[in-house]
Amino acid sequence: MKSSRAGRIALEIVMVLLSILFLYPLFLAINNSLKSFSEVMSDVVALPKQLAFENYSYVWSFINYPRLFLNNTIITVVGLAGIILVSSIAAYKLSRTKSRFSAVLYVICIMPMLIPFQSIMLTVLRLAQDIHLNNSTWGLGLLYWGFGAPLAVFIYHGFVKGIPKEIDESATIDGASGFRLFFSVIFPLLKSVTTTIIIIDVMWIWNDFLLPLLMVNGSPSTKTLTLAAYTFVGQYTSDWQYAMTAMVMAVLPSIIVFIFLQKFIVKGVVAGAVKG
Amino acid sequence: MFKKLGRKWSEKLEFGVFTLPVLICIAIAFYIPFAMTIRYSLLKWNGISKHPKFIGLDNFKQIFMGDANFTSAAWFTVKYAILYIVLVNVLAIGLAVILDMKLKSSTWLRTAFFIPYILSLVIVGFIWKFIFMQGFESLGASTGWGIFKLSWLGEPGLAFISIVLVSIWQSIGFYMVIYIAGLQSVPEDLKEAATVDGAGPFRRFISITLPLLAPSITISVFMALTNSIKVFDVILSLTGGGPGGTTYSVAYDIYRDTFQNNMFGYGTAKALILFVAVLIVTLIQLTLFKRREVEA
Repeated sequence: MKSSRAGRIALEIVMVLLSILFLYPLFLAINNSLKSFSEVMSDVVALPKQLAFENYSYVWSFINYPRLFLNNTIITVVGLAGIILVSSIAAYKLSRTKSRFSAVLYVICIMPMLIPFQSIMLTVLRLAQDIHLNNSTWGLGLLYWGFGAPLAVFIYHGFVKGIPKEIDESATIDGASGFRLFFSVIFPLLKSVTTTIIIIDVMWIWNDFLLPLLMVNGSPSTKTLTLAAYTFVGQYTSDWQYAMTAMVMAVLPSIIVFIFLQKFIVKGVVAGAVKG
Repeated sequence: MFKKLGRKWSEKLEFGVFTLPVLICIAIAFYIPFAMTIRYSLLKWNGISKHPKFIGLDNFKQIFMGDANFTSAAWFTVKYAILYIVLVNVLAIGLAVILDMKLKSSTWLRTAFFIPYILSLVIVGFIWKFIFMQGFESLGASTGWGIFKLSWLGEPGLAFISIVLVSIWQSIGFYMVIYIAGLQSVPEDLKEAATVDGAGPFRRFISITLPLLAPSITISVFMALTNSIKVFDVILSLTGGGPGGTTYSVAYDIYRDTFQNNMFGYGTAKALILFVAVLIVTLIQLTLFKRREVEA
């Protein structure tokens, strides 16, 4: 028994060291975002002699950080609200209506999960130009409604099946019908799956790169955080201290949110993967 | 509102009101672009000319007969996918088994290994580019280890490995938490019964844990497969396709042809091939794995 306890402690130490090594690249990024150019060039590993917060104020105003943050928020919130709304009502109706037509529509809704985005990226862009959804954060948010819907419909559809039909019926007797029935009775019951969908979709839309690159990269006023960091590095290929500052600033919101909502996020990601 | 209409008609109307919005959104995001993709793939077109030329299946012929870029990108993607799927799943199962042993640091370990997954892949690529280019130089100077003196992004074989490793670094936490969830559903009494029967830890893992993990393995391999076939972001920022164009994936090759070379017809033909490949691989994999799963 004793040797197995010693083994556990050894394993524990090895794993903690491994995790520190695993996160070391992130530490190096933060470390070098706080150094001057010559310090970065002379030694990447060493700690900064004095913290160069001026890197942050420089990048902050150069890329117009508040604007980018607002853009990301608009795109994510608009996208998410629409995905939840259109997918939940449709999935509810499709799940409750037992007919061949309804079953076919359901398949039409979830089939696109098999289409890789790169297969349609050019034509999505052309179509968005035709209906004037490109070069606008709101337009990009609207586009996400369709891109996020197949998975959301799939998850909601499966969950609604488990809600007894008697609930609908008793609400109908009480005089509620249509949207009122859905929003006051059914939607609150979907809370747990709605949380799952919110978590996986926020992570996806907030960090998405290729679709925003095609849709909103044209003007500095519509760029997202990731896009701005991407163009910024393109312009400052050798100024690593600024590049790392931009990287840290781009990922910091995600890390802060993750630290506070860790439990929900991990649970949501697992639930989303298992159901999807 | 619908009282004047018959009951049947009002039900139909309500069905339409509830389902039409999502159908329109999905049509705009997927079905219309997909139909356009099929049409474009039959054209010779630079995207600017008003009169694209209809050339039938010539694009496809050209791609399969003699497109060295596409062939090498396809090879790269296949090699990447295999290596990534195997490594990320094996490592994630290993981590999950260790974290499931209820170590004191389990909570911290789970957080640490999961963090990269919440970061954007493009940014992860840039951070690692910095580590490979600048960081390794300093680490090599202070430790003297040969591993830091290799040209991790400058030599084709090593650049390939770098891309695989960075992808694994970013996503291993995701697979790990799926496996942890799977392990927690393995009944304790089954493991105990096996211990009583004299099975060692390795034997227990092979004959009890692993078969019961089958559903999690299906999900993880499926996710790893769909993600690796489409690999793009991390390559764009880490190597930019270099050195010497050796690290282009199929998705990146499509991007290069359509947006950098303005070959709209030719690029979409490749895009359609990618779609068919994803479809076939997905269907094969789903039927294979479904058959093997053990009912717990």
